[in-house]
Amino acid sequence: MITANGIYKSFGKNEVLKGVSLNVEKGEKIAIIGPSGSGKSTLLRCLNLLEEVDYGEVWLEGGLLTQVDPYLHPEIIERSRTYRTLAEQLKTEGADEATLHDEIVAKIKRDDLLKRFEGKEYHAAIKQLYRENIVNINVARRSMGMVFQQFNLFHNMNVLGNMIYAPVKLKIFDKTTAIEKAKRLLERIGLPDKINDYPGSLSGGQKQRIAIARSLMMNPKIMLFDEPTSALDPEMVGEVLLLMKELADEGMTMVIVTHEMGFAREVATRVMFMDGGKIVEQGAPQKIFETPENDRLKDFLSKVL
Amino acid sequence: MQSLLLADFFGSIAEIFSTGKYLNMLLQGLKTTLIVSVGAAAVGILLGSLVAVVRILPKKSKWMILPNLICSAYTTIIRGTPMALQLFIMAFVIFAIRGFPLELTAILAFGINSGAYVSENIRAGILSVDKGQTEAGRALGLSGAQTMLRIVIPQGMKNVIPAIGNELIALIKETSIVSMIGMYDLTQVAKILGSGQNLATYLAPMTVAALFYLAIVYLLTFGIRLIERRLRRSDNR
Repeated sequence: MITANGIYKSFGKNEVLKGVSLNVEKGEKIAIIGPSGSGKSTLLRCLNLLEEVDYGEVWLEGGLLTQVDPYLHPEIIERSRTYRTLAEQLKTEGADEATLHDEIVAKIKRDDLLKRFEGKEYHAAIKQLYRENIVNINVARRSMGMVFQQFNLFHNMNVLGNMIYAPVKLKIFDKTTAIEKAKRLLERIGLPDKINDYPGSLSGGQKQRIAIARSLMMNPKIMLFDEPTSALDPEMVGEVLLLMKELADEGMTMVIVTHEMGFAREVATRVMFMDGGKIVEQGAPQKIFETPENDRLKDFLSKVL
Repeated sequence: MQSLLLADFFGSIAEIFSTGKYLNMLLQGLKTTLIVSVGAAAVGILLGSLVAVVRILPKKSKWMILPNLICSAYTTIIRGTPMALQLFIMAFVIFAIRGFPLELTAILAFGINSGAYVSENIRAGILSVDKGQTEAGRALGLSGAQTMLRIVIPQGMKNVIPAIGNELIALIKETSIVSMIGMYDLTQVAKILGSGQNLATYLAPMTVAALFYLAIVYLLTFGIRLIERRLRRSDNR
């Protein structure tokens, strides 16, 4: 459903993601765990392009969201000047024709050899791939719900306004349908009486549940959660996790960055452990929590469990 | 002795308001002050908003480089030179055309000056809105412009209004230097009223002028409070 390939991202000199790839299938619930600064949140934010990636591509249901990364496409590398020069050079040196192609592609990838200008053909190939697959990011984001650590409810709108503004503005529903849907969702999360309240008067747990409901208004196909319970008082964590668990049980596809190990273990279908900008180990929750292989993961689990 | 002075003072004030010529001069001065202030405020707010928008837009596109440069040069130069000098340049260099209305010169000079401050106030107000608000809007699929117009700007305005109020108050009082290019505003009229040919006392006309300024500023402050209160309705924490 959503695929990220070879994502690199740095903030200034700080390299946060160092070649992360991830593929989320429909119905999967992926929990991303790891120490702070490991790049979990950045990875999640790269999925819906709240952070622009430096290298790598993000695809959502066959649509490209980012720029084309030539390093991911051997057929594009083949058309570069660098490739041709290297090929000729190696041929005169008498290299084996059969493995020549793979060797050059690997070398170009490894040594980051592509230059800014690599000949007409190469740029035409990039442009074509881009044109054929690019989707508008604003349209793509409608099918990706995002829940933030800091809730980020719009302070200048009441609860109803928060929920219906985007779907009405983007003409997904007309206003009456949107209001009805908002009322149903508020009923479901147990806050129907807050419909006219402003975010300032709500508790953290209520805010986060409404933020989740606001995302659900768009009928998303996938939900991204960025540490949804980290800013909550301990007594309010439960209500938010319960709502998320309900969503999971209904079959929503979810990617959750979390420090709630119990929740990850119970709800996730796959757990990813990130450290130092890479996915170090991933697998079923039982495997990750009971028989971890990586030393860093063992160390991490011994501290948090 | 003291009661004599007080009687003099109130006598002079009564004279100002009862003598048609004096009253007329005073009202003319008030009118000039108001015209210049209101005109300059309008120019300043329009210009300031425009400059703020240019400076807030993302700077990635190459089409934004030049406008951005112009706008930041504008704020730097205007904020870095004295108002009186700017007024002189306007009156004696740029609009040194015979018959060009002095009011318009003053409005443009003060408006352009005020615009630089207003633009910085607006920019600061909008930058003060939490980045999470923009992110939440964008994550829902709203465009940058939709998020800006309906989510960020309304919240930024709450922080901008008091600062703009301050700027307008400063502007109104600063217009008193228009006498330097030969205009008869409230301050200049008060000075003339106090001269030997007229009342031969400065205390009364100056006091009256001060009270007029005070009244204008008070009304303005009151209006700004009303707007602020409306805007703050939403954050009843």
